Amino acid sequence: MASENRKIVYSTCKSCHGGCGVKVTVEDGVPIHIEGNPDTLTRGTMCSKGLSSIQHIDSPYRLHYPMKRIGEKGEGKWKRISWDEALDTIASKIKESQEKYGPESISISQGTGRGYNRYIHRLARSLGTANVISPGYVCHSPRLGLYGLVTGYGRLYCDYHGWGGEFPKTQIMWAKQLEISSADSEMCNWFIHSLDYCKNLIIIDPRASAYATRATLWLQPRPGSDCALALGMMHVIINEGLWDKEFVEEWSFGFDELKERVKEWTPEKTEEVTWVPKEKIIEAARLWAIDTPGCIQVGSSLERQANCGHTLRAITCLMGLTGNIERPGSMISWVLPDTGLIEDFFLELPLTEEMQSKIIGIDKYKMGAARTCNPDTMVKAILSGKAPVHVWISVGGQQIVHMANTKEVVAAIEKMDFMVHVDLFMGPMAEAADIVLPAAHWLELDDVYDMHPRFFISAHNKVVDPPDEAKSDAWIFNEIGRRTAPEHWWDTLEECLDHQVRKGMGGNMKWKDFSEKLVSGCWGKDQVYYKYKTDYWREGGGFPSPTGKFEFYSKRLEELGYDPLPVFREPGESPYRTPELYKEYPIVMSSGFRQPFYFLGQYRNIPWLRSFMEYPQCQMHPETAAKYGISDGDWVWIETPRGRIRQKCRTFPGVLKGMLMATANWFYPEEPAKGYHGLFISNPNVLTNNNHLDPMYGSPDLTCLLCRVRKCSVEDLNENVFHTEEFGTVQRTSEK
Amino acid sequence: MKWGMVIDIKKCMRCHGCVAACRVEHFLPLHITWVKLIAYETEDGGVLDVTTYPVRCNQCKEAPCVDVCPTGASYQRADGIVTIEANKCIGCRYCVIACPYQNRTFLRKSSDPGYFPGYPQTGYEIKGKKLYPHQRGTTTKCNFCAEKIDYGLENGLKPGIDRDATPACVNTCQARALTFGDLNDPNSNVSRLIIQRHGKQLQAGLGTDPSVYYVDGKHGGNDNKAPEHAMTGSHIQHLSSVEDRAKELFPWLKRDNE
Repeated sequence: MASENRKIVYSTCKSCHGGCGVKVTVEDGVPIHIEGNPDTLTRGTMCSKGLSSIQHIDSPYRLHYPMKRIGEKGEGKWKRISWDEALDTIASKIKESQEKYGPESISISQGTGRGYNRYIHRLARSLGTANVISPGYVCHSPRLGLYGLVTGYGRLYCDYHGWGGEFPKTQIMWAKQLEISSADSEMCNWFIHSLDYCKNLIIIDPRASAYATRATLWLQPRPGSDCALALGMMHVIINEGLWDKEFVEEWSFGFDELKERVKEWTPEKTEEVTWVPKEKIIEAARLWAIDTPGCIQVGSSLERQANCGHTLRAITCLMGLTGNIERPGSMISWVLPDTGLIEDFFLELPLTEEMQSKIIGIDKYKMGAARTCNPDTMVKAILSGKAPVHVWISVGGQQIVHMANTKEVVAAIEKMDFMVHVDLFMGPMAEAADIVLPAAHWLELDDVYDMHPRFFISAHNKVVDPPDEAKSDAWIFNEIGRRTAPEHWWDTLEECLDHQVRKGMGGNMKWKDFSEKLVSGCWGKDQVYYKYKTDYWREGGGFPSPTGKFEFYSKRLEELGYDPLPVFREPGESPYRTPELYKEYPIVMSSGFRQPFYFLGQYRNIPWLRSFMEYPQCQMHPETAAKYGISDGDWVWIETPRGRIRQKCRTFPGVLKGMLMATANWFYPEEPAKGYHGLFISNPNVLTNNNHLDPMYGSPDLTCLLCRVRKCSVEDLNENVFHTEEFGTVQRTSEK
Repeated sequence: MKWGMVIDIKKCMRCHGCVAACRVEHFLPLHITWVKLIAYETEDGGVLDVTTYPVRCNQCKEAPCVDVCPTGASYQRADGIVTIEANKCIGCRYCVIACPYQNRTFLRKSSDPGYFPGYPQTGYEIKGKKLYPHQRGTTTKCNFCAEKIDYGLENGLKPGIDRDATPACVNTCQARALTFGDLNDPNSNVSRLIIQRHGKQLQAGLGTDPSVYYVDGKHGGNDNKAPEHAMTGSHIQHLSSVEDRAKELFPWLKRDNE
């Protein structure tokens, strides 16, 4: 089988947040085979997204050259330019804006894929701006911030590994389908492996995820009521005396206040608010409190709700109440590998008070807009003509797709003075840019992969050359940095990579060593549990929080003007908060439906993956659907006060009655540029509201709102329906 | 030797990894799938059942597809694998109809739109046509990655244990829901699973005697004590060094295919 012109390259997958070890066979410069690398943490496994990379990189839709827009925004008219022209234009626009409007007039945004987080933050800081637009506020940041607030350390992860002698006895999968690995593939494998050692698997999800009907217990809360459920569970635990007395007494702060707060959340009241039968609430609370150690895997659907701060806080308190912190098989903050914290790459450039004071939204969203701006506030500010931002550098992400209220987002983006977008393909965000830069796929670049739980980093090793002039994100950011803030960037990409791994191997590691070594990690007997009982964070023990304790009650939050204890608030639109609206829009809607073969807005343009779900689907219980005359397979209009979209209805008895679960982030790469590649046709964010945001994080209600639904008529299925102003494809005046 | 597979439907989470791995392994044309996932979602008397059945050619011992083949293109190997000799296949499709599991697909002469319809073939596609040609106008199906099994056996590897001798879907499954091995060996991983967890064949009543078995169960109910190899992280410790020494220290590394 072996051939002389064949080679094998080991790398790390980045088709989602990634992390799976990969083995690629290349023949004559063409990857002909891809599979998992068995000698890694993911044991040689890979999902459909990663495997389809082999088809992805070859796509005829790839961007090959830097391009300059020559038509109107969203018109799809482009002209090829050189890298020099592109980079020089970008650099001069940045400098011009810095001088004219101040450094805060530069905004840098990112998606959640390709691993550019640290590059965009470093570029922002080196330019003197903190107006970074991150999707973090609807994915992961609230939980890190709240874990940090409660324990003093931001990264608590489930211990799926057994390194401390025990696996989690009770596992709660809360609004998360870690098993389908849509975002954290490496964790998917660990989680499923740990189920072989699990006594109780509890799933909390309004929709039956893959393991729901085979789990120990499955709770179906009304979307947006999760905070109430956590408060109700704490009520049971405290009422029945099941809390961890030793941990609470010695290592926590504010237990009495918490006890007082959860008093009202009797099982009866919790059932009324969450629609979960009280027997199940009681059983879940007991299993969680009695069968320890346990861990809670939180899903980002909870962070796409305007009460996310308190929801996450309540869930964190649930962990502390049962002593499920730092114990083997519970929630852990992992010891870093010898290469250190990968974020040091940007943390080493300080966020000055000056920069922080200019963050859009910092006056209001004091937790979420402390390091990055609040994107929805920025959209509003641009529309009102008051935004300080004039240059927007966007990489990978599709803010235009994932932010609430698509029509407003598009209008704001179209008003931007100058925008750059870096991506693999033309897409909705790229069509709104002035310059588009071609990015390399993870199979085409050298870079450092950092995983969420932070106990290892690994190498992306270049397998093949990128097409024509496509370049890695690291190269692109280094080049922009070199032209605008040379003191903080490097002459070559390799030096930049050397800098990131330099602490490894006793302080001598170079990129080349790391590339060969593939991984730098800390695991097995090297990991440390019960750090709060040692001098690890504090001399004499304790947490790195202000009180040195696990804080049920947060004085810090109180100082910022927030409730120091978790408190439930209804979503902006709900049967109880807006009963009048509920009469008109009688279905609770979530855009939380995710498929294992898509990653957020990505991969609808990979034929192998698109074949698994060609059109966006929404799910309704057959009884709910029947109420509106809808059958399985019908195309339906989903409507809210903001607009309407079309998705295909699949009736599914596993979804909560009275609700609709829509597929998120859908646009049609095959649709023309006009209308931003079908952005307005099926994307649930056309329906979501950006007026009601979480007080701490500024997160909108993407997974809890109200809608109504009706079956599409025969005329509605004609594609001309979409060639109207409503869907953005009407001809512009200038073209007539 | 009789190769067989056990599928743990408790673990399958419908990720489609097996389908993709099969497409990669065999350079399958765009709309051809050898592995399929069947969604089973019912509510009966208030009891909900959400199940995914991964299906592929069952490599039946009494294979109706072999019986009806007029040219002998479909035949059973000594190791139980039912395979199709494309050069002998005349495209009559009797076998497609005879298969009670609908696991055979006819490759139409006109049905190769390419991976990106309307665009030239990609580099990967061109390579595939040489490395794993599919003959238009013939019938195709899963072959348990027979080419990997043959290669493995020639090189002293053990199918179901060594990756290079094991079907691609089994290797890639993140849930480790698929187990492959020798059904004739009572001590093999598959034989033990079938006995311990009461493996069932699909539509056993048809008398085809499939080589693919299904086991099911509930999650939970397990002891949470970590075994020594989990505590030491033995399957990853070697990553701390670049030397092959680690592999010497952990000789079972390659066998960690549980």
